[in-house]
Amino acid sequence: MGANAQTGLIVGLALAPCRVLRSNFAALRKRRPYIYVAWFALASTFSLHAKTELPIPDQTYDILANYCLDCHDEAEMKGDVNLDHVSIDWGQKDNRELWEKAHFMAKEGVMPPAKKRQPSEEERAALLAWLDKNLLENTPIGGTPPRRLSAEEYRSTIRELFDLPDYELPLGFPKDSEFHGFNNVGEGLVLSPPLMEAYAKVAEQIADTIYPPARKAPPSTTRTAGPNDMVLSFSAGKVVDDALLLVSRGHEIFRSCSWPSRMEIMSSGRYRVTVSAAKHKPTWGGPMKLEIRARELSASDRSRAEVFRLLKVMEVPSTEPTTITFEADLYEGQTLLFRWMNADMAHDYSKFAQHMREWFEKDARWLAAWQHTVFPNGDFSKIRTSVIRGRSGWEILSKALEDPNLDMSNATMDNKLTVKLLELADSNTGMFNLADVLCHYYFTNGPALEFHEATIEGPLKMVDGPREQLAKKLRQQFTGARKPGQSDEVFTKEILTSFLPQAFRRPVDEQTIDTYLGIAERHWETGNSFDDAMHLLIRNILISPRFLYRLLSPGEIDEYDLASRLSYFLTQAPPDKRLLELARSGALSNPKTLRAEAIRLMPTQPTDAMVQNFTSQWLDTKLLPEIMPDPVFNFSEAEIGIAEEEVEHFFAEILTRNLPMTDFIDPDFHYTTPQFAKDNYQYTPSENAVKKEASMASDSGLEKLPIQRGGRFGGLLAQSAVMTATANGVDTQPVLRGVWVLENILGMPPPPAPKNVPALTPDTRGATTPRELLAAHTNEASCASCHKRIDPVGFVLENFDPVGNWREEWPKSGKRIDSSGTLPDGTPLQDVTHLKSWLVDNIDHFSQCLAEKLMTYATGRVPNYKERKEIETIVEANHAKGNGFQDLVLALVASETFRTK
Amino acid sequence: MRNQSAPPGISIIGRRQFLRSAAALIALPALESFPVLGAAKAAAGSTKKAKNLISIGAYLGWHQNAFYPKEVGRGYKLPTTLAPLANHQNDFTVFSGLDHRAPNGHGAWSNFLCGNTPKAYSMDQVVADQIGQQSRFPSVQLTAGTGEGSKAMSFTKQGIGLPMTQRPSVFYKALFMSEADKARMEYMLRSGRSSLDLVLDDALRLQKSVTRTDGEKLEEYFDSMRSVEKRMERQISQINDPLPTTDYKLPDSDPITPNLLMEAEVLMYDLMALALDTESSRVLSFFIDGLGQVFSFDGVPLRSGYHGLSHHGNDPEMIRDLVSIETAHMHCLNGFLNQLKEKKRPDGTSLLDETIVLVGTGMGDASRHSNADLPTLVAGGGFDHGSHIAIDSNKPDAPLLGDLYITLMQRLGVETNEFSNASRNMNQLFS
Repeated sequence: MGANAQTGLIVGLALAPCRVLRSNFAALRKRRPYIYVAWFALASTFSLHAKTELPIPDQTYDILANYCLDCHDEAEMKGDVNLDHVSIDWGQKDNRELWEKAHFMAKEGVMPPAKKRQPSEEERAALLAWLDKNLLENTPIGGTPPRRLSAEEYRSTIRELFDLPDYELPLGFPKDSEFHGFNNVGEGLVLSPPLMEAYAKVAEQIADTIYPPARKAPPSTTRTAGPNDMVLSFSAGKVVDDALLLVSRGHEIFRSCSWPSRMEIMSSGRYRVTVSAAKHKPTWGGPMKLEIRARELSASDRSRAEVFRLLKVMEVPSTEPTTITFEADLYEGQTLLFRWMNADMAHDYSKFAQHMREWFEKDARWLAAWQHTVFPNGDFSKIRTSVIRGRSGWEILSKALEDPNLDMSNATMDNKLTVKLLELADSNTGMFNLADVLCHYYFTNGPALEFHEATIEGPLKMVDGPREQLAKKLRQQFTGARKPGQSDEVFTKEILTSFLPQAFRRPVDEQTIDTYLGIAERHWETGNSFDDAMHLLIRNILISPRFLYRLLSPGEIDEYDLASRLSYFLTQAPPDKRLLELARSGALSNPKTLRAEAIRLMPTQPTDAMVQNFTSQWLDTKLLPEIMPDPVFNFSEAEIGIAEEEVEHFFAEILTRNLPMTDFIDPDFHYTTPQFAKDNYQYTPSENAVKKEASMASDSGLEKLPIQRGGRFGGLLAQSAVMTATANGVDTQPVLRGVWVLENILGMPPPPAPKNVPALTPDTRGATTPRELLAAHTNEASCASCHKRIDPVGFVLENFDPVGNWREEWPKSGKRIDSSGTLPDGTPLQDVTHLKSWLVDNIDHFSQCLAEKLMTYATGRVPNYKERKEIETIVEANHAKGNGFQDLVLALVASETFRTK
Repeated sequence: MRNQSAPPGISIIGRRQFLRSAAALIALPALESFPVLGAAKAAAGSTKKAKNLISIGAYLGWHQNAFYPKEVGRGYKLPTTLAPLANHQNDFTVFSGLDHRAPNGHGAWSNFLCGNTPKAYSMDQVVADQIGQQSRFPSVQLTAGTGEGSKAMSFTKQGIGLPMTQRPSVFYKALFMSEADKARMEYMLRSGRSSLDLVLDDALRLQKSVTRTDGEKLEEYFDSMRSVEKRMERQISQINDPLPTTDYKLPDSDPITPNLLMEAEVLMYDLMALALDTESSRVLSFFIDGLGQVFSFDGVPLRSGYHGLSHHGNDPEMIRDLVSIETAHMHCLNGFLNQLKEKKRPDGTSLLDETIVLVGTGMGDASRHSNADLPTLVAGGGFDHGSHIAIDSNKPDAPLLGDLYITLMQRLGVETNEFSNASRNMNQLFS
């Protein structure tokens, strides 16, 4: 390499004069010569200094001069690009990027523009070969700058370092900016003053969590809450005759529970609690059971009752008030929460619908009154959801119950209205509305539980609340045990010696330890306690660049940075003890060890941070929460959540089972819920066809459903989340989707759109179809070079509406969607299945694209020319031996690109 | 033109550009066609200034029919919701027909202060970044209720939602620090500042150990630390400045349960008046949340929870109950306006004259989740009040809510001619 550069330099010097002559000659056509004198001077100065500066050979220069320099010389500089040089200093990153771009444009046939003179195939091939050779020879692998932790890495690092698994960054914490589609790319991770302030604030917060400021015992008080001092939300309670009635055992506290408004515990302690309650219009004999829990007042009112600590179950045997007194520990910020445990009704889909069904079966009049309330005029297409809320609905219902002329003609179980009503009772919003109305039936007729009064007296003594308990545990973790007789200095040094390497993710030298010890010592000198100094140390360690930055090793990536890279890549967390130990012993960079560790850390669940974080950035599903689908699509928030989960499950399945890359495009399974598949993919899996293979766990009920390969359903391109993320919630834009697929699936990003062309505004009157609108692209030669690649891909996806539902007609115009097109290589496309089969046949395009995205995510830099070549080799080799996705990830980890800083 | 459900994206840019060019085309005379009384005075060169901005947003909106007066211009009959403000009719202006042409739905609520793009740089933060630094708290975000509804009303330039303070006691402690709090703050500042030198020594040593390029990248760290250091030093130098004191006392416990929403509002208004009077802050935003809580007025519980009532489906009784809640909010606001008006300056002007109070919402009609036609009221700020300014948003040259915001910002000394999708102002109609 060094020898080559030397030779190049000599040749460069030798050639420089002729180049000037030739350039001058060319310049006679349109330029004044003095530019050339200056240029000559510059060129020779540079060639003397740069070892990587190489002349452009004559044949290459001729090709450039004939086809490129008319527009891209110093005078014209079209698109800010100047390719007119005597020689190129390949050592400069900017130069490499410029010529890489030139290579791309020439290779893809975008340049020279169609209306200009075109080089012969041989000329183009010669130019490309020359660029390829120089780029490969002169592009070094590596080059990620030292980078601060991304916000997500920062959060998970704090979680790991302090063992605070639920730690969340404070509201208002600055966001990372996105760079090349990812928020963890080194160049995008800038440290700014507001971010530094946020780090300092978090450091203070963590220090306070471990060493909370001392608290003083407040004086004991007695506070009483009667029925009118209680919180009433939705139809959870009603005050009748000086008692608060509770009627539902629903899970969400704001639907079923009540709690005092002004009884917040200010200091954790032991308290004496007195509660009195009675039965109200009971219909059965046994005791009613009143649940008394301790709720955090700041917790969401949507919380489920079960998450709060149960203090007591009170038996209420009679309609005369019963009183109980008990002692309980109540913690700062808590108050009492009351729920009638064995109420007749629940706000719970299946139970509520069942409750209603049984009642309808028993009582036709009851059924008729409900039909009247929910479907005025017997019209089941019009549901009166807005008015049937709480007391408002009850007034309509109770009037109907008393109406002697109530229409009973539909009051049979098989009637359409009844079926619809029970469907509503079993649906998301409908159940809550109907159940809230039903609460009022119980308020009026019973049975209900009467709450009369609650009293809290105390604190009788101080106790450690969750905050103090956590602090105690964290302190023990942070300091370890002090040996008998150990001085503050010695003990602190021991703490730092063990903690700093964890915090900084690498060994820490004596001098650094002493610097931090110095902070503690200075603090003691000014009269502060041992704990104060620990608090101060934590505040300072967490704002050190050694904590905030990665890739700080002096030269090449070392074992520790490699440990961090592997760990943050696969787990989004700092390296664990085992990795650090392997790094210390120098074993991690051993290919076998590195591979074994990668396998150990490989995500296994759809909920793993890497799966969620990578897919949401790669596939832009991070946009989903921001996209608000137009109501016409009937796509609920819950469905958006399922759509996101589909992608995560799908990705995790292919990764963990090492399925072939082609399964990303055309798999034989799909992860979704049967309901979602029916509603959004018009797909009903037959019972016996459901795979018996274990599906990965899912709270939302996603299952692995079998599908036919080769169909339109299944694979990334047909997933609701992807199609939603590539639209805007209202309409689809074939160009945007086309570009998205080229960038994120095919890895052939088209050059940016010309600046002087306005964006196409959809025709809201529907007179023209998108295809008619976009015809201009393919008619105009200068547009066509890119749009012949973009538009076919975009149009073939037009059958997916803005939330990924299949459609046959364009909205508004009502014209049949024409999704046909031709790929640049001549492949005809009729619909998405053709695009999928083309991708399966040419899967390396996709693999290369995904591999580059993974590498960007893993290394924090966009792979350069040479690195992409290495990835290409890996993709091809992986294809040859089964094309498993996990194998690909492992091969990427083993690559030089991954292992270089 | 009026495309309510247009999402963020290219179509918006197209429309925004259209609006800009339309604005350029119509020139000023067209504005005179607005059905407005008192629009004749073209007050383009108004030199009046206001000092403070209070932005109040109600999560579940304001029922339009009860908020908008039937008549246009001066001397209108007060509509139900505004009835509590009777004593101040000449201290505020009601606007109808304004909005940001933003997307619909609860999710886009933040268009209230953010304009056409929810979660973009909000108007109050634009103002705070310009004039906020002159006071102890450059900007303050408060909420009555958990704030769960919208999560944030104010957004930084970077689009980060700012957290809101829900507990009056927390805001009170910040405004009127106890000796113990002050001592703790001083301890934190001094200990933090003096240890910083050692951390920086270590950081410098680190910088020297890495390559030159990598070391240059670390300059970002040192720049940021210098800014933290400066802030600490400024705070230390001010630590002995006298803090405002007050006789005002808060109740023993914070009214943070949902049924005590009005009580929380009253306390927050009291504290905001104190904050303005003591010049502790100039820019405050106040979010009024709304969930399922059932309010009782005169001992009678309403027909449904607040949120349920907002989905009234045009049922008159549901609307009546909803409006009774909104009227209660206005009672609380009335108390605030009273306080601002009572606090007189030596020159006879009141705190209200120096303070723009913007009352609005990000939701025009909660029953339909529509974010068009946002009920808006502006009090104080030295404007010529007393009118109902009705905008016909169907007219192609109709001003946007953002145009009103430009007028408000200019009054506060922020030199700007644009906000979100707006690039005009309403100085001709409102000055």
